[in-house]
This record gives sequence, structure tokens and C-alpha cells, in this order.
Amino acid sequence: MSTIPIALLETKLHLPTLRQGHVARLRLGQRLDVETLPALTLISAPPGFGKTSLLAEWLAGSATDRTVAWVSLDPGDNDPVSFWTYVISALGRAEPGVGDRSLALLGESPGVDFRTLLTLLLNDLASAVRDVVLVLDDYHVIEATELQEGVAFLVGSLPPQLRTVIASRSDPPFPLARLRGRGELLELRAADLRFTRQEADEYLSGMLRVQVRPAHVDALEQRTEGWIAALQLAALSMQRVDDVGAFVEGFAGDDRYILDYLVEEVLDHQSADVRGFLLRTSILSRLTGPLCDAVAGGSRGTAHLEALDRANLFVVPLDDRRRWYRYHHLFGDVLQARLVEELPELVPELHRRASEWFEQNGEPGDAVRHALGGGDPERAADLIESTIPAMRQSRREATLRRWLDALPDDVFPDRPALAVAAAGSRLGVGETSLVEERLGQAARSLASPATSAAHPGLSGWVAIYRSASAQLRGDLVATVQHADEALRLIAADDGAARGAVQSLRGIADWSRGDLDAAYAAFSAGMDSLGQAGFVTDVVGGTVVLADIRIAQGRPSDARTLYEQALLRGTAGGAELRGIADMHVGLAALDIEADDLAGAQVHLRQSDELGEHKGFPQNPYRSRVVRARLAELRGDPAVALALVDEASEVFTSDFSPNVRPIPALRARMVLRLGRLDEAARWADGRMLGADDELGYLSEYEHLTLARILVAQARRSPAGPALRQAVALLSRLLQAAESGSRGGSVVEALALLALASRLQNDSRSAFRSLDRALTLAEPQGHVRLFLDEGRPMEGLIRSAASRADAPRFAGALLTAFAQAWPADEAHADVLTDRELGVLRLLATDLSGPDIARQLVVSLNTVRTHSKNIYSKLGVGDRRAAVRRAGELGLLRSPRP
Amino acid sequence: MSRSDPAAFPENGGRYEIRLRGHLDDRWSAWFEGHRLTRQDDGTTTLDCSVPDQAALHGLLHRVRDVGLPLISVTPIAAEGVLQVPGAGR
Repeated sequence: MSTIPIALLETKLHLPTLRQGHVARLRLGQRLDVETLPALTLISAPPGFGKTSLLAEWLAGSATDRTVAWVSLDPGDNDPVSFWTYVISALGRAEPGVGDRSLALLGESPGVDFRTLLTLLLNDLASAVRDVVLVLDDYHVIEATELQEGVAFLVGSLPPQLRTVIASRSDPPFPLARLRGRGELLELRAADLRFTRQEADEYLSGMLRVQVRPAHVDALEQRTEGWIAALQLAALSMQRVDDVGAFVEGFAGDDRYILDYLVEEVLDHQSADVRGFLLRTSILSRLTGPLCDAVAGGSRGTAHLEALDRANLFVVPLDDRRRWYRYHHLFGDVLQARLVEELPELVPELHRRASEWFEQNGEPGDAVRHALGGGDPERAADLIESTIPAMRQSRREATLRRWLDALPDDVFPDRPALAVAAAGSRLGVGETSLVEERLGQAARSLASPATSAAHPGLSGWVAIYRSASAQLRGDLVATVQHADEALRLIAADDGAARGAVQSLRGIADWSRGDLDAAYAAFSAGMDSLGQAGFVTDVVGGTVVLADIRIAQGRPSDARTLYEQALLRGTAGGAELRGIADMHVGLAALDIEADDLAGAQVHLRQSDELGEHKGFPQNPYRSRVVRARLAELRGDPAVALALVDEASEVFTSDFSPNVRPIPALRARMVLRLGRLDEAARWADGRMLGADDELGYLSEYEHLTLARILVAQARRSPAGPALRQAVALLSRLLQAAESGSRGGSVVEALALLALASRLQNDSRSAFRSLDRALTLAEPQGHVRLFLDEGRPMEGLIRSAASRADAPRFAGALLTAFAQAWPADEAHADVLTDRELGVLRLLATDLSGPDIARQLVVSLNTVRTHSKNIYSKLGVGDRRAAVRRAGELGLLRSPRP
Repeated sequence: MSRSDPAAFPENGGRYEIRLRGHLDDRWSAWFEGHRLTRQDDGTTTLDCSVPDQAALHGLLHRVRDVGLPLISVTPIAAEGVLQVPGAGR
């Protein structure tokens, strides 16, 4: 078994033992046929209906190949790390090897996506040797939506090797009707579980060791309605009374809540000592001798527990050695209700004693719970503060956040470290409320030199979180300001803090479009993190650095970054998380350099590594790259489907979303010739050629410029051409002033095409020359190939000049090679149309052409119309010019 | 729904009557956060609760569930001094 994120409480994975006097539930056992279990078996009934006992009997008795993974849940398992650690560990014990990778993933990365986690787990299970039944007992304590979704996902994707059983006091929020409809749900509910008259008879007679009179059984069965907990208490009392008839009569004729009546009967028969013990220890969710002694006083805790166990009174053993017990939940609650009524002043003191015992025994979680339960927030605050590093280490941020949220406001002003942790835990889930307040409390406290000296480095964290909070609010100026303040406050050797703040600053600069500053800051942040040993974070950060390099128009530097990170992430045979992202990044670069085979190899390597070797953004990033590859391979349907999938799995991180997927999709449909669809996207985004420009919308505006150029080509007389040239000129200027080389070269290439449409060859060549000169060292071939025949024609014309850039020749070769792929899905001229086109280039009139081809004038007109439409032009002159650009007039094809 | 019907603005909480089957001892009052218990002649017990919000109401219902008390009804009660709504309350 690999590293387990948290210390496991063994008792929670222990299959309960059968109680003495247990009635075999054969009629229910028959329905739970282990060979034909559906995906989910739901045992849903109020407390005291024998859910756990039924499962224990069934699992102990069924001779089967299925092994059992049992988890008894408690409210603390609403923390995803805790919940999944128990579930996966239970499965791993049932079937060794299952879940090792998921546990490791849970331990190493915060906020891991549960689908990734469960997909890994399901893969393990699908190849498991033995079949497993996973039992989640007391599932009603789970309230976290994230976990409900996770379990519903698990139940919905089970391999046949795994079946789940859930016991709960209320129905879980899964799509039960759907499961029922598909026959994937087996339910046992209160009506099924309650004792029949025959079972009641059997049970009572067994407990009392004499045959109970039928009239008494009838009366008890009617009064309790087969509620097992009540029958059990009744049997306990009947064991002691001389006149069973009088007891039954008294009970049946009373209309008090039956548990009140019965518990009182049972408690009345206990010694004052035992009664006091039961009430005082009822606050504990699990019991062991020394703990009970500490809470209830005295030294007979172990003896009491053993006696209760023997007498079958209220307690359930939690392990085979009978060291730990718990009260049956129902009775524990009834006892606790009595405690708060009879000894209210004692309750806080009992919790305090429990809290101290757990603290001394190294279980801070329970210590905190009892401090909060006993209404002692000061103690809880101190305990939480001392356990923050351990909780962070084990990634139990959710539990920490719940504790911190439970503390009242007035514990924070004197505890700056706690206030800072509270701010951090809220920011960690993207929550900005209360953050400023907590940071303000911390800052006021740290203003005292003594406090500040006692908390070295804490002022720096206040500034870091202020910066992060400003970033979440979208306030870039404050982000940078607080980041700079933090850098002054953080010690030079605090790599984690420095790394965090430098990266924050880098992201803010990137969002503002200041790429040089962004690269410098983020890269310094990665160096700091690397020195502090956070290698995985450094590998993950490469994606950001490479994206900035690409935006700077330096894809070859981006390639070097990815390659170095790949080496780092696989050094010494390791496979760090994030290396899948590196392969996807390299695939994207390969495509831009027109190396489709190389891209294919990297995508395959990323696939083979699996989703768990990627960061949460990798699923959408890899789909975007795959879509591009499918498009270039001539499969537009697949390409568009992949882009849509990418939209669905998109998750943002702190990085600005500088290449939004919908814009990317608009470019793709535009390349497929679906101009109207692309234009609808621009309308929907309310983009206009006169918009104010900003870096965050630069990609969208460049996309709009492409749409305008295409519109100008279709209808040369419209306003699109003028708008395109104006927009591109402004985009070019903005990109140049921000040193955004990627946008500069793109704007130049588009501007060249637009100038060409204006018949302004001088401007077109000037822009093209600049674009070619900038693109050559980066091997940026795809940018030009994507523009298709108009770009080829333009480059061909430009290349005929003596002083044309060298890159033009290389591109023309690339066009020639790309041609067949293009023709596969582009509108291609038929041989007949090519013939007509060549005659259109002469000064022959229409009737002359018809005569020469020996066809009617109408036929020539039809051909001409088709030619214009295929070339995207409106008249004969334009068609001839375009044909020249495309090299269609040179010689007949073989 | 009328404006003064608490169920129309559940996020604001309000007064609710929770009706349970069987007679509950007064001792249960502390368990139910001090809310008043009334044993009715029809063998039920009503719990008169003022809750700050829906979450608190659900918390009480969880407590009902967790001790196996059969729940009969949950009824919003129009607060005094607020417009009386016909049909609201009992």
C-alpha cells in the first residue's frame, strides 16, 4: 500500500460482529442474492431498524467469492480527502493493489478532481481478481454535495466486479428513479425491515428463553409496529420483571413515545453508577475504557463497557478485541437527550475532558470537535492553530475550513495566524467573503512589534492573500501592489512564499498584457518554488511560461521549456504529475510548425500516461490540440466534436483565459468556409471593429478581423474590408507596444491579405515581408498555411521579387505539400471548370467561349457561376486575378 | 403565496409547528434546542419552533429523524403582529 494521506481509524473499516440474540433474517437474506446484486443496494430506514445487523449477518453468512470493503461513516467524512481515503483503503484491503494510485494522487495534490480519482479506481477494479462488495454504513451523515456527486458517479460507472451497498436513514440524492428503471437498484426499506409477528415471536422467545404468550407478542408487535430497537428494549425489561403480563399491559396502554417509556424502564433497573456512566459518556461518538474514565470519572470504564456488552445494552463493539465501542446511535442520542435535560451544567465540562483526552492521545480532530461541541471556542481555536500544519500536510483543507468557519468572530483578533489561515482556506475555494475582514484582524494584531516578532513571516502572508484576493476580484492593480508589498516582507529563504507571490504577480502582469514582466515574475516564482522542493508545481507552471512565450511570438522558446520540464518530471524514472500536460503542449507546437506526425506521437504519449498524470486543465487542452489535428487531417466533424467536448470539460485556473474556446471554434468553422456561423459567434459576443482593445480580448478581436477579411472577399463592395484594415492596424499597434510578438505576426499576415484585397500590393508586400521575417526563426508555418489559397497566391506574387524574404520559398513548398490534404475537403474546380477559367482569362466574350467549347451560352454561365463561388469572388476580373494567385492558369494538370 | 406566508420566504426562517406521533417527555425540550413541547389529546406532540433560517429547520428535522420519531407534519405559523394569512398556521 502506498502513502495514505491521513491516519486511518481502524474501527471504521471493521465489519461489525453479530449481536447476541440476533434473529436470522432469512426472508431478507434471500432478496440479497450476492450473485445477482445490482449496482446499488439501498437499505433505507430510520434508526433502530436493524440495517447494520442485517448487513453483518448477510456478509458473514454468504459463501461467496465476493470480498467485503466496509466503511462506517461519520460526520468528519464530509471532507473529501477523509471520505475517499477510507473508501479506497477499504477497497484496497478487500482486494490488494486496488486504489494504490488513487491514494497516492489523493495525497499529493490538493483539490484533485474526483472523476480522475474514481476513473483510476474503477480501472483498478475492472482488472481485480476477486469481486468486491463496498458497504457504506451510516451514509446519511454525508452532506457535502461534492461527495454525493462522487458516489453517484461511482455507482453509475461500476464494473461488474464491484457492487455497492448503502445503509442510510434517508435516501441519498442520487437519480434513484433512473437506477430503479434500469434494474440497477435493490431497495430494502422500513416496511421490509420491521419485524413480522413471527420474527418478533422468535426474537422475544429467544431473548427470554421461554415461549412468550401469543397475546403478549401481539400486543408488543402492535405497540412497536415491528420497530426492532423498541422490541429489543422491551425484551431487556421483560428479562428482569417478574410479571411479564403487567409489563406488557402497562407498555401497550401508554401513549408516551415508546423509546422514552422503554429507556426509562431499562435505566431504572441500572445502578446509579451505571446510569451516571451511561449519561456522562453519551457525548462520545466512540468509547474506550481510559477515555470513559477521563470523561465520567472513576476507573471502571473498561469494566462498565464489558458489562454493557455482555448485557447487550446499548453498545456496539467496534473491533474484534473489544477495545473500542460505540453506543448504538439511536440510544446514544436518547441518552444524550437525557443528559442535557438532567445535567445541563455538566455538559461543557464533559466535552472539555473529552477534548483534553483526545488532545493528549494525539487525535486533534476529535479534540477540536469536542471543544466546539462543549462551547469552548477559545480552546478550539488554540487546538486548530496548533494543528494547521498537519492538516495542510494531509490536504484536509475542507475540514480545516469547516472548523475555522465554526469559530466565532471574536477568537480571531488575538490569533493572527488563525485569522490568516481562515483567509487562506476561504481563498482556496475561490471565496472572497470574510477574507478582507480576517486579514484586517491579522494585520491589526501584527502591528504590535511583539506579536509580529512571535509570528515571523506572517505579515508577508497577509500581503500574499490580499494580492490573491484582489486577483479573484479582478483588481489587477491591487494584485500587483500587494504582491510587491509581500516581496518586501517575505524572508529571502522562504521559497514557498516567494514562489507563491512571484507567480501571482506574473499572472497579474500576463492578464494586463505585459508579457515581458509576466515572464520575468512567473519564471522567478518557479525558481523559488523549485528551490523549496515543489517540483510538481514547477512542472505544472511550465504551461503558463510556455503560453506566455507563445504569446510573445517565441514558440521555439516554449518548446525548450516543455522539453526541459519533461526531463525534470521524468528524471530518475519518476513520472511526476504534469508530464502529460508537457506532451500536449509539445503537440500543439508541432502542429504550428506543421509537424503533424510529431504532434500525433506526443498526444499518444499523453494518453498512455493517463489523466492522473495531468493537471485539471489538461483534459480540455488536449482536446483542443486533438481537434486541430483532426481538422488538418481532413475530418472537420470530429474536429468540431472535440472542440465542443473541450468546452464541456473546460476548467479555469488562475491563468487569464487568453484563447477562449468559442473563439477558437469560430476560427475553425471559418476555415471550413462557414462564414455565417463564424459571424454569428462575433455577433453573440457583441464584438465590433471599433471596440476598445485589450489584451484579454485580443484573440477574439483577431478572430473578428479574420471574419471581416472573409466577408470582404465575398462582397468586395461592402464595408468589411475597410473595417478589417482599421481593426488590424489598431491590433498591430497594441500588440507591438506590449511586445506580444504572436499577435504582431498574426495581425501582419492578416493585414497583408486585406491590403491585397484593396489591390494595394505595396502595403500587402510590406506587411507580408515583416510577417515572414518574424515567423521564419520560429518555424511558424501553420499561421500562413491556415490562410489557404489567398495566402499562397500572395506569397507567390511576393516571392517573384528579387528581395523577397527567404521564408517565402519554404512556405510555398509547404503549401504544395499541404495541397492534397486541402483538396480533400475544399471546393475543387472540375476539369471542365478549369477549361472555362482559362478561357475567362483571355479577352474572348461569353458567346465566343461557348462556341469554342461547343456548348450553349447558358452552360458557360453555369460554369462561370460555379467557378466564382468556388473561388469566393464576384466577377470575371476577380476570378482571373484569384486564379493567377492560385497558380491555376499555368498549365493544364496531367 | 401571500407575502406574509413564511414558507414564501423560507430563507428568512420563521415559526414552524412540528408534529410528532406519541407523547414526548418535557426532557426532550433541551434536545430540541429548548423549543416548547406540547402534548396533544390526539396522542401527538407538537414542537413550537422559531428558526432563523431553513438550515436550522432542517437541523431540527434531522434530530427528529435521528431518534426515530415518527414525523406527522411541519406547518408554518404566521408570526403575530404580521398580517394574518387565512389557511396559514393550523
